[in-house]
Amino acid sequence: MLAGLDVRQVEVQADRANGTPKFLLVGLAATSVKEARERVRSAIKNSGLEFPPQRLTVNLAPAELRKQGSALDLPIAVSIALAGARKKAPPRTAFIGELALDGAVRHVDGVLVAALGLRKRGFESIFVPAADAAEAVLVDGLTVIPCANLKGVVDHLLGTQLITPFVDEESGPTPEIGTLEHDLAEVHGQEEARRALEVAAAGGHHLLLSGPPGAGKTMLARCLPGILPPLELAEALELAQIRSLLGDIAANRPLDGTRPFRAPHHGVSMAGLVGGGSGFAMPGEISRAHHGVLFLDELAEFQSPALQALRQPLETGRVTITRSGGSVVYPARFTLVAATNPCPCGWAGDAVRSCRCAPAAIDTYQRKLSGPLLDRIDLKVGVRRVKLETLASEPTGEGSAAVRERVVAARRRQLDRQGCLNAQLKPARLRQLAGLEPASRRTLERWADQRGLSARGFHRAWRVARTSADLDGAEHIGERHILEALGYRLQDVAA
Amino acid sequence: MPEAPELRTRGRWPPPEGPRVAIVGSRLPSPYGEAVAEQLGADLARAGVTVISGLALGIDAAAHRGALLGGGVTVAVMGTGVDVVYPAAHTRLAEDILAAGGALVSQFPDGTMPRRHNFPARNWTMAALSDVVVVVEAAERSGALITAEAALDLHKEVMAVPGSIFSPLSVGTHALIRDGAGLVQNARDVLAVLGLMNEVLDDPLSTPKGLGRALSPGRDGILSHLSDVLALSAADIARKLQLPVAEVLGRLTALELDGAVRRHHDGYVRALHGGRKRA
Repeated sequence: MLAGLDVRQVEVQADRANGTPKFLLVGLAATSVKEARERVRSAIKNSGLEFPPQRLTVNLAPAELRKQGSALDLPIAVSIALAGARKKAPPRTAFIGELALDGAVRHVDGVLVAALGLRKRGFESIFVPAADAAEAVLVDGLTVIPCANLKGVVDHLLGTQLITPFVDEESGPTPEIGTLEHDLAEVHGQEEARRALEVAAAGGHHLLLSGPPGAGKTMLARCLPGILPPLELAEALELAQIRSLLGDIAANRPLDGTRPFRAPHHGVSMAGLVGGGSGFAMPGEISRAHHGVLFLDELAEFQSPALQALRQPLETGRVTITRSGGSVVYPARFTLVAATNPCPCGWAGDAVRSCRCAPAAIDTYQRKLSGPLLDRIDLKVGVRRVKLETLASEPTGEGSAAVRERVVAARRRQLDRQGCLNAQLKPARLRQLAGLEPASRRTLERWADQRGLSARGFHRAWRVARTSADLDGAEHIGERHILEALGYRLQDVAA
Repeated sequence: MPEAPELRTRGRWPPPEGPRVAIVGSRLPSPYGEAVAEQLGADLARAGVTVISGLALGIDAAAHRGALLGGGVTVAVMGTGVDVVYPAAHTRLAEDILAAGGALVSQFPDGTMPRRHNFPARNWTMAALSDVVVVVEAAERSGALITAEAALDLHKEVMAVPGSIFSPLSVGTHALIRDGAGLVQNARDVLAVLGLMNEVLDDPLSTPKGLGRALSPGRDGILSHLSDVLALSAADIARKLQLPVAEVLGRLTALELDGAVRRHHDGYVRALHGGRKRA
């Protein structure tokens, strides 16, 4: 059974005794598990097996753990069938699966997470729904038995007819990469925003694009996954676990090496964004965007509590959610790309259309954008609308592949030096690892003084400068790197 | 015709004898409008005119700032109580106005918070206190047009600064000019209406402070590609100079630090007053 990304092991015991035929299920089972009695009874009968006409007790241990979900159907049915045959289950073996009334074994969510957890606990083989076998086989050193129906499982256990373990046709799990849907080569003009995307990708910095509707903010954001390096195996596995919990793993490509791009609508609830639900919380959009991009269009339209809840994950790369069942922690190390209009109607400062917002409305709008969330975004750039007539004549720039090469090199430099991306450097390590040349320090301090930069803002500009230097292949942070970094601080500009 | 309401005041009131000119316009002006308002404010103040405006964002603030730069007296006619600076970001500007011998005035009781319906009455008061109302950039339904209308009702002179025909912020001002408002190209046009032609200013607008330095060639090729009215993005400039955008962005930031350029949310313009302190 799963509690977030944690696996809780449940032992199923069956006992048959003489007495009035009765089927007892004990061990703190939730409704979904109590219903297993009816599914199991029908599945056993319809598989041509005998349902013992005796007093039957099934115990789910440990008794104090509240059991949920339909994945216990299969182990309950197997334990009854084995008790009938007076056999014991093989050692270090686990069963997961939901039963249909006809005995078929149906898909359950989270098989990958369960398989990983069981492997860690020393299990050697695992019986899973045939539909989920490709997921389970991603775990090294675990024999995966794909189960199509209950009869097959029982035959296998009794040794009458064996099921061949599922093997991945390819040699070992390697993340597969889908083709790029959005390429920077299709972006006309917008050189400033393109460069900001490159810096964001290289250093793991969060990015805010500000500009009127139709300026191409969404297109730019969608290009970001394509200039990031493909997922490492470990990263892909982490992401696959989140997808597994949500039942969202593609059967033909269980391990996807493509960086995720999530763009929740601004109406999304807090639970939908950061995770939630009853019992144990399920992962939200921010965890689905783990190691990828979370795009929040129309940032000011999101509910304030949802935006506030982003603060912890933005800082730590993880989110902790507490529900009735207990606390769970999900990974959520995403790159945030936020887009916003300059005012509620979107046209403030546009060259052609005029803004119709009351000053108080603009004030409220800007205030919603400012504060703790915006404080955590390193790069802020204005995006201007390109006129349709001139769109075709605006130069297109490099394609994503060329940019990705520079990004990969800059990331490698960071990982070799400090083991993490620049955006994740703590101030103490930043001082130690990213020394400023005297001229650079003077420039940064002068700006901080002139614009009243907070300590947080000071360090943010410093980190971006480090990334600019890494893109340059420079060992020290030169003045030009600091100056570029300060160029992305649109918020220091007086209105 | 209603009489000018009783005023609550802070600072020196009434202002020194002499003509009073209101400079009003959009809260979200283009860099051009802001530059014009600042320049007019400075030149009129230098000529001994009291510059009146509404302490709002945009043109109002630029006019006040200009007047302070010109070393003159400026008066903010507020739509809130005189003790409630709105927007709050202008607290510093309000203090500077008082420190320079100007005044904050309001027809509303102390503690009045910003209310939408109070601002038209404030605009009327502003017109009543002024001899001339100059409108710099006003979209079709701008509050500045209410001030202009009030000025007409009060038989005050209304003047307007023309803008680009492509800009939505020119619709209001051009309509005023079409209807007979005086055309303002520089402070002298306003001074002429006030009958002050032969006074202090010999040549307003022609040699703005700092512009000469900013235009001096050589030091940085980027400056010669920047406009002082039209905002250009770093990308625009990078394309003109055939330089990487990252480098141009950095050089623009250096110029910004020196006060030679100013950044708006839609791009960079050359600063008229190099190196000055921001209000």
